[in-house]
Amino acid sequence: MTTRDPGRVVVVGSGMATNRLVESLVARGIDRITVLGGERHAPYNRILLSAVLEGTHSVDAITLRTSAWYAEHGVDLRLGARVDSLDPGRRVVELVDGEPVAYDTLVLATGSLPTLPPIRGLVRLDGRLHERLHSFRHLDDCLRLSADVAGRLVRAEATGTSVRAVVVGGGLLGLQVARALSIRGVRTEIVEGSEHLLRSHVGAPAGRVLARTLGRLDTPVYTGARAVTFTDDPATSEDPDSSARCGLTLDNGHTLETDLVVITAGVRPSVALARRAGLAVRRGVVVDDTLTTSDPAVRAVGDCAEHAGRTTGFVPSAWEQAELLAARLAGDDVHYDGSRVVARLRATDLDVAVLGEPEREVAEGGEVVEVSNPITGTHRRLVVRDHRIVAATMVGDLSRIGLVTQLFDRRTVLAPHEPGELLLGDAPVRPAVLVDDAEVCACAGVTAGRVRACGSLEAVRETTRATTGCGGCAPTVRQLLAQRPSLGPTPADPESPERLEGNLR
Amino acid sequence: MTPSPVGSTVRTHCPYCSLQCGMTLTQRGTRATSALEVQAWAEFPVNEGALCRKGWTATGLRGHRERLTTPLVRDRRTGELTAVSWDDALDLVASRIADLRAESGADSVAVFGGGGLTNEKAYLLGKFARVALGTSQIDYNGRWCMSSAASAGNQAFGIDRGLPFPLADVEQADVVVLVGSNLAETMPPAARHLDRLRDRGGRLVVIDPRLTATGERADHLLQPVPGTDLPVALGLLHLLDAAGALDEDYLAARTTGFDDVRRSVATWWPERVERVSGIAADDLRAVADLLAGADRVMVLTARGAEQHSQGTATVLAWINLALGLGMCGKEHAGYGCLTGQGNGQGGREHGQKSDQLPGYRMIDDPAARDHVAGVWGVDPSTLPGPGRSAYELLDSLGTEGGPRALLVHGSNIVVSAPNATQVTARLEALDLLVVADIVMSETAAMADVVLPVTQWAEESGTMTNLEGRVVLREQAVAPPQGVRSDLDVLAGLATRLGCAADFPLDPEVAFAELARASAGGRADYGGITYDRIRAEHGVFWPCPTADHPGTPRLFADTFATPDGRARCPVVDHVGAAEQPDADYPVHLTTGRVLAQYQSGAQTRRVKALDDTGAFVELHPMLAGRIGARDGDRVVVRTRRGELTAPARVVTTIRPDTVFVPFHWVGANRLTNDALDPMSRMPEFKVCAAAIERAA
Repeated sequence: MTTRDPGRVVVVGSGMATNRLVESLVARGIDRITVLGGERHAPYNRILLSAVLEGTHSVDAITLRTSAWYAEHGVDLRLGARVDSLDPGRRVVELVDGEPVAYDTLVLATGSLPTLPPIRGLVRLDGRLHERLHSFRHLDDCLRLSADVAGRLVRAEATGTSVRAVVVGGGLLGLQVARALSIRGVRTEIVEGSEHLLRSHVGAPAGRVLARTLGRLDTPVYTGARAVTFTDDPATSEDPDSSARCGLTLDNGHTLETDLVVITAGVRPSVALARRAGLAVRRGVVVDDTLTTSDPAVRAVGDCAEHAGRTTGFVPSAWEQAELLAARLAGDDVHYDGSRVVARLRATDLDVAVLGEPEREVAEGGEVVEVSNPITGTHRRLVVRDHRIVAATMVGDLSRIGLVTQLFDRRTVLAPHEPGELLLGDAPVRPAVLVDDAEVCACAGVTAGRVRACGSLEAVRETTRATTGCGGCAPTVRQLLAQRPSLGPTPADPESPERLEGNLR
Repeated sequence: MTPSPVGSTVRTHCPYCSLQCGMTLTQRGTRATSALEVQAWAEFPVNEGALCRKGWTATGLRGHRERLTTPLVRDRRTGELTAVSWDDALDLVASRIADLRAESGADSVAVFGGGGLTNEKAYLLGKFARVALGTSQIDYNGRWCMSSAASAGNQAFGIDRGLPFPLADVEQADVVVLVGSNLAETMPPAARHLDRLRDRGGRLVVIDPRLTATGERADHLLQPVPGTDLPVALGLLHLLDAAGALDEDYLAARTTGFDDVRRSVATWWPERVERVSGIAADDLRAVADLLAGADRVMVLTARGAEQHSQGTATVLAWINLALGLGMCGKEHAGYGCLTGQGNGQGGREHGQKSDQLPGYRMIDDPAARDHVAGVWGVDPSTLPGPGRSAYELLDSLGTEGGPRALLVHGSNIVVSAPNATQVTARLEALDLLVVADIVMSETAAMADVVLPVTQWAEESGTMTNLEGRVVLREQAVAPPQGVRSDLDVLAGLATRLGCAADFPLDPEVAFAELARASAGGRADYGGITYDRIRAEHGVFWPCPTADHPGTPRLFADTFATPDGRARCPVVDHVGAAEQPDADYPVHLTTGRVLAQYQSGAQTRRVKALDDTGAFVELHPMLAGRIGARDGDRVVVRTRRGELTAPARVVTTIRPDTVFVPFHWVGANRLTNDALDPMSRMPEFKVCAAAIERAA
């Protein structure tokens, strides 16, 4: 088999990497594709689950491709098809129901799984999560949480009480879920085991600014505190039904009373299948620059793959890998050399962007240019090396995000003054008065002086043709005429130069 | 041609942009050099008497010392031009053409037209190419104007008319979104409609990498990275779909293919758009909220959105947005393209395009060939097939299998073509270059034969403005001695080439023939006459019969597709063909300034208009990086060429982008010739550039 014909392509997983991979393969005319998806939903945009929880997005709006699309393009999409084992020797994967699926090229796109912290009472005797506990990785998790919240809110409204939630884990996902719950009307608290929020992305000052902002948004944050015990003791309440509260006890002895708990304590690559099959696995499934695992017929992309010692967990990287793999499977000689990551919090009223790995770049000698203002809740840090922005943290003020991201992504070489200017912004320059040779009417090319020389709007129109083109200068012309000394004392209106400036081009 | 009597006033339209502002001309004396005065024509609805300074000074080229008044022939050995008689010039051109055809076939002679030519000229130029020359090699500079919008309109709606409604409808919308248009400078009187919109409480969204005079009127200004208008549209559609703000009943009843579009935009959440386009997610959300709450949304694109290697896809993305909101066909709402050149609309409808015949008929459609051949009195099988598009045509000149002769009417290729150095080299490789122009343009200066032709006000003819309104420019004065009309030139050459077909000299006769040739086509002028245009302030096509009122508004009930439904193709962002890198780290974009028009062949010679020369607009942060201050000379380099011009340091442009106006020689030596796969539009609006202070 040549690299130009990948033969039967079997993809394990039906997440965002898979969807992009299949789209690219289909576009390149590669057929005989089977997708084995453990979830019951057609591929959807996982990035937007917190938006579904918040209510800004419907499930339909996050669906990437329908099952019908896969069928129309000759792709065998099997949903709810969980893979039990992989036999690289025979080139067969086996589903949990025992059905074997043979491949010529296997792609592992199994994504990642939520990490469950060691909290007593978290898992029931039957091995399932307690019903008041929610993880937040899959669409079904999101739908179950959303329904739970909706039911509790209805009941709480009837009884005049409120609904409380604790989010365990103050990373990007935790903050998004916390904000979504708050906006739904749930009184939400966040517990973060490390000393500050977004521990794996930003430094302590940025984390503190965020905690303060969340406090202002009525979401208390407990940092440096680990949840150790979950108790669901109906005895604490007279009402034995679900409106009773449960408790989450922290390692500082404090107990948070709550109705539900959402676990967002990080994820780990889903590697069990690869590990059992004997493929090289460290944190993720190890791949080389061609996204090939230790078995030449098995590839891996997305969250489950580890390239150059790194797993990413971000969609843009997963897509880059998926597109590159599709190109390789179609015969192109292309190589993966890592991705630049921009982590962007999607949460209403909480503005966070993390470009690259600021902490790591600082540790490796990057120079820091930063402006921090805890009073206004902003913290912006640029890490600069070799005149380039190699990482950045922006909290609370994203006004220059569209530019900073471009400079970061394009590795633009900056002058020494630029990082500082990027954080300080433009100093507006306004002329105090409109000088006589300032052009007022661009259409006719008329200066302020020529307008001032006229006695009336009609005279302006007749002699200069100002205001007769686009009409945009009419307010300025009226101002200038009104301010003519001959019409009486010039009004000492301190605002007028500003207003005039506003009308100038 | 009879000039109007002294003191009398004729109604006409401005010689420049697609707004075709109405104006009157009054001659103040009896001599050819007597003053010709521009005055307001308040009743004409598009501009209501308003004009920009280009319009007010439009007579400035009359009696200009650089006006050509005699045919010139160049001696290739000495490079010297010699005045010759018209007969000598036309005899020479015809005999050279005949020799080349005999040697290398009919396609060895090519024709290049312009979007500023009247309908009559454009029509006869196409006829001349197909019938008198028998060549398939004809195209025009309109490819470089709105062709991406044209190709998108044809795909989505089955028809291409810039605006499917009168421009004044803008005033009645709730929200107008201008994508890549600086109409306050490129067609200033149009801005009055925006001001009235805002006076009514309507909102304006402007999308442009620069804050322009148009952007200053905006309620929301988005300044994306050049070349990313497409993902901005996808991101807005994503948010609107998520919010349930799309018009599902409309989509079900009037469109096909929207579900795939909906799926495709699920991947364009705001933070992803932010990373690609440089538009902050919250700014995108604010615009989406505005659109979601509006009853009447109007989306208008212009060159900023269209002049890209993904221009057609970009326009389709914006059309999908308008369709998703249920706006196309709704009163005072929908999608439209703000055409650029004076006759950009009409010029593309009657056969100047390499793949089209009059009436917007496709040249490979047998029924279209039969009809047009019937009007022309020729055998349909003698009509050539489709030829090369504008840039590809120029790029093939003088190459193996490419044309050896080129006839240019109404275009200053040397200034306006992308990658101009390459195009200039191709022109130099020709055996014969013939240019018909009013002045010695940069292109005419390269020609073997220069033919002096009449200009605006010295001839009559129709134009079709950006609304699809056919208007009439009446002759006001006699042309200078020695000058002939383009119609005259074509007729003279056709006769010398032994062509029996009719090439009328009278524009009104030519128009009547055009009307017959277009009848039954998509752009049907069958019922339009000069008298009707005079009586009705112009007539909107399609107007198939004398008793048809014309069609100011399209799509109320149906689209021009076979099943009457709008098509919604899925489009995705690929990005500009050339991205900044270490050697060329900034984006270069180009555009216009108020006082100039296109290649400047006309406006640069009008004394009353500032001829500032080219300049380079850049942000203070970038200026600081290269150590340049306002007014310093800076060098802009791309992989294709370089330009040195004074810096204009402004805070109104993205710091990662520089802007150069394209009216002067030089800007288009920088631009990229990557073509849109559908419209064959070159990527004028973005390429990678380096900038430094001039030594």
